[in-house]
Amino acid sequence: MSRQMGDSHRRFLQTMMANGIVDEQGARTLYQYCCETHNTQHAPDKLDDFIDAINSNLQPMFMQIRKGMSEDNGHQFYALVNMTETVVTRMSSDYADNELELFRKTMDLIVVSENGTASSTDVLNSADTLTTKKLKKSETEHLLNRLVHDKWLCENRGEYTLSTRCIIEMEPYIRAMYQEQIKVCHICHNIAFQCQICENSTCGIKIHNPCVARYFKGRAEPRCPACEDFWPHEIPEVRRPQSQSRR
Amino acid sequence: GKEKASQLFSEGTAFDPTAFAEHLLSFMGLNRLEDGEDEQQNGGAAGGYLPQDAWHRVARRAECCFRSAPAFHYMMGSFHAEPPPPKQKIE
Amino acid sequence: TSQVQRGMQKLTPAQVDQKTAEVVQYFLVKDQKKIPVRRADLVKHVVKEYRTIYPEIMKRASRTFDQVFGLKMIEIDAKNHMYILINKLEPGDGASPIKSPTNPKMGLLFVILSVIFMKGGVVRENLIWNTLKKLRVDPGEKHEEFGDIKKVVADEFVRQRYLEYVRIPHTEPVEHEFRWGQRADVEISKTKILEFMGQLHEQDPQSWSQQYREAHSVSGSTQPGSSSR
Ligand SMILES: [Zn+2]
Ligand SMILES: [Zn+2]
Repeated sequence: MSRQMGDSHRRFLQTMMANGIVDEQGARTLYQYCCETHNTQHAPDKLDDFIDAINSNLQPMFMQIRKGMSEDNGHQFYALVNMTETVVTRMSSDYADNELELFRKTMDLIVVSENGTASSTDVLNSADTLTTKKLKKSETEHLLNRLVHDKWLCENRGEYTLSTRCIIEMEPYIRAMYQEQIKVCHICHNIAFQCQICENSTCGIKIHNPCVARYFKGRAEPRCPACEDFWPHEIPEVRRPQSQSRR
Repeated sequence: GKEKASQLFSEGTAFDPTAFAEHLLSFMGLNRLEDGEDEQQNGGAAGGYLPQDAWHRVARRAECCFRSAPAFHYMMGSFHAEPPPPKQKIE
Repeated sequence: TSQVQRGMQKLTPAQVDQKTAEVVQYFLVKDQKKIPVRRADLVKHVVKEYRTIYPEIMKRASRTFDQVFGLKMIEIDAKNHMYILINKLEPGDGASPIKSPTNPKMGLLFVILSVIFMKGGVVRENLIWNTLKKLRVDPGEKHEEFGDIKKVVADEFVRQRYLEYVRIPHTEPVEHEFRWGQRADVEISKTKILEFMGQLHEQDPQSWSQQYREAHSVSGSTQPGSSSR
């Protein structure tokens, strides 16, 4: 049963449409702002309830505001996602067919890679193998910039990773399409791209970098939570959300 | 048409697009150059260069004049999900 | 009508819901690039065999936009049956804590609409091109932000129905004039444009008396409905 929405909910949803993704801190202040703008009750601890009310109304359209973790800093984010594929959703005009094909090839590269990244060289090479319509080098570079700008990919020194927004929206798709190749985090059980892997060959569990940071924080000697072997990787610091944290 | 034009002329201030453009350049954050070198090239308009975000500034200010609907963008569902790619693991 | 009622009886509620969702999706997809929805295309690509209950599906889709999204579905062209979505929510008083990304093209469009409005509703194309040139946007050159200016202004904005670009008869060489398009009429507030003009020129908006009257007349300030409760 869908719950009643007010203008505060609608304003929140519209902001999610315009931005695609906001971090938890941003969602909290936005929630307060929307309630204040429309003179409605604001309970600071009821953000997820507020979002559930929106989601119950979005459900018939196969849309959802979904929560997920950034693989970079471990912070929580909310993204507005589409959950279905139909003749109509495929009419989306943001990217051409060959551009979408290149995006999928990039995703293939990232999923099968050891560390969850794809180099720009590899992406450019795979642009030569497009079956729809070839992309020139300059067109591919322009497309990659757009994908980063639209928050589907992240780029760092020529290495591309899937953005938090992309992982949140595409997780069910990735799980279905890459059953054999995906890694799952031993701590949070979500899919993992950038992660540490237990070096015990009979174990080999994976843990997100931020999950590593949280799990081993304050432990004297890091040992694998599954096989108890010594955890040989560098333990990252827990990153606290700042009041104005960046994506 | 004609009637409107004559009314515009007879009452109220006339609108001058050149003055408008000048004001807008300032609003956009134009860096006016000391020497008027560029002036001829720009057909009498002031010289100088606009900052990178010049048009963003106008767009941001104009937002309140528009009642535009925000657009919904998504990746999942924009292409046909095909069966999984062939296994690429080297056993 | 009874035809719709008979059509509804042949369908399950789930089928009608599914079709309504597809119509909503179609509007959202078309709105990504602000292209109006044409009824003929909507029926052909989405509604299809449900065409007998088209009025009911449109009613439900419209209700969804209103109650879930805070948007309003408007028919902007009764002759060709074209629809757009506009926002029902007023901009908030305080600044939103989440800064949504801006589209610089909206700045360009705003300038053009302002000049047309301030010049009484219709201008020759040269006035627009010359004004843009003063703003460092030369229609003869590729602009690094907007690309092909002529294409953006005389094609994209026209397809979106923000502008009308019509040939002036009996001109040699060929000349065109610009007017506000049907989308601009319902989506853009002349009052707010005039306020910005006043701010830019450091002048009282009322001093442009003709424009002021136009902005505050019923047709000039189409209020697309206040927010639903
Ligand atoms: Zn994890
Ligand atoms: Zn282990």
